[in-house]
Amino acid sequence: MTIEIIEDVVRNTVTRITRKDISQFTRTTTFKDLEADSLDIVQILVALEDHFDIEVVDEELESITNMGDFIDYINRKVAEKTARSA
Amino acid sequence: MLEEKVALVTGGSRGIGRAIALELANEGADVIINYLRHRTAAQNTAEEIRQKGRQAHIIRANVGEPDKIESMFAEIADKFGHLDILVNNAASGVARKAMDLDERGWAWTMDINARAFLLCAQRAVRLMEGRGGKIVAISSLGSRLVMPVYTAVGVSKAALEALTRYLAIELAPYGIAVNAIAAAAVQTEALNVYKFNEKLSKTWQTTSAGRMVQPEDIAKLVAFLCRDESFMIRGQTIIIDGGFSIAPLIT
Repeated sequence: MTIEIIEDVVRNTVTRITRKDISQFTRTTTFKDLEADSLDIVQILVALEDHFDIEVVDEELESITNMGDFIDYINRKVAEKTARSA
Repeated sequence: MLEEKVALVTGGSRGIGRAIALELANEGADVIINYLRHRTAAQNTAEEIRQKGRQAHIIRANVGEPDKIESMFAEIADKFGHLDILVNNAASGVARKAMDLDERGWAWTMDINARAFLLCAQRAVRLMEGRGGKIVAISSLGSRLVMPVYTAVGVSKAALEALTRYLAIELAPYGIAVNAIAAAAVQTEALNVYKFNEKLSKTWQTTSAGRMVQPEDIAKLVAFLCRDESFMIRGQTIIIDGGFSIAPLIT
């Protein structure tokens, strides 16, 4: 799976759940910019875990500052899962 | 004891659910652990159960979604064929004051904490048909006491306790006992939402019994309610709080 595909899924999931236009999502956008509350974030994580069959570890999200970091994190989790199942 | 029994613990990967899953295994039950987000924790709890010589099976399902509940019970039916114990423990909630609650937060909380209990009980009863069973729901003192930003969860737990009473009477003829447990603040990660409220944290630290409620306290009570010794207890919400609710100012 390419990072472009992952970025596309993350963008669509985040904007759908935060009820924002897709044009508001860039790699430098933050959850705060999107006015995401704690329920939005939980629902985003559940949706991405469902979609990619990965486990997001809450403590690992603490260093994430923007959507670029978030996409890279999800990409890393997908890669780890692929490596485990190879 | 609970040998040969098959138990489902929703939200069984961590905290109170984990303690319940382990205690039921201690008593001889095979345990199905439902979880939503913490797969590694669920796998670890399952491994601990297997080390006790019991079967363990994990199922990822958001119990706030009816179709996921349906899939979970289809998997249980396929793998075990029946169910003896349902522990409705999975919980979530939006921490807001009543005036700040929106429809989404309300629905998320009620769907996971209250509706899921109804739907899981309906499906569990089909797997208990002809053999009886035990259903235990985990509530909290927030169903009757007002706690900061606990509105949605408190209301959902009140619904859960009322449903416990209705189910207890409706299911008694089928040999199924239904009860609930309401705990005071329990020493788990879920309490972190209040970690900045020093006054509240201090209030909860001690009880007349001398300490906070631990997950294992609840787990032992669940196990008791799942044994035949508790046969005549029906539709009750049993408070486990070290005396907190009757004497919150005395520690």
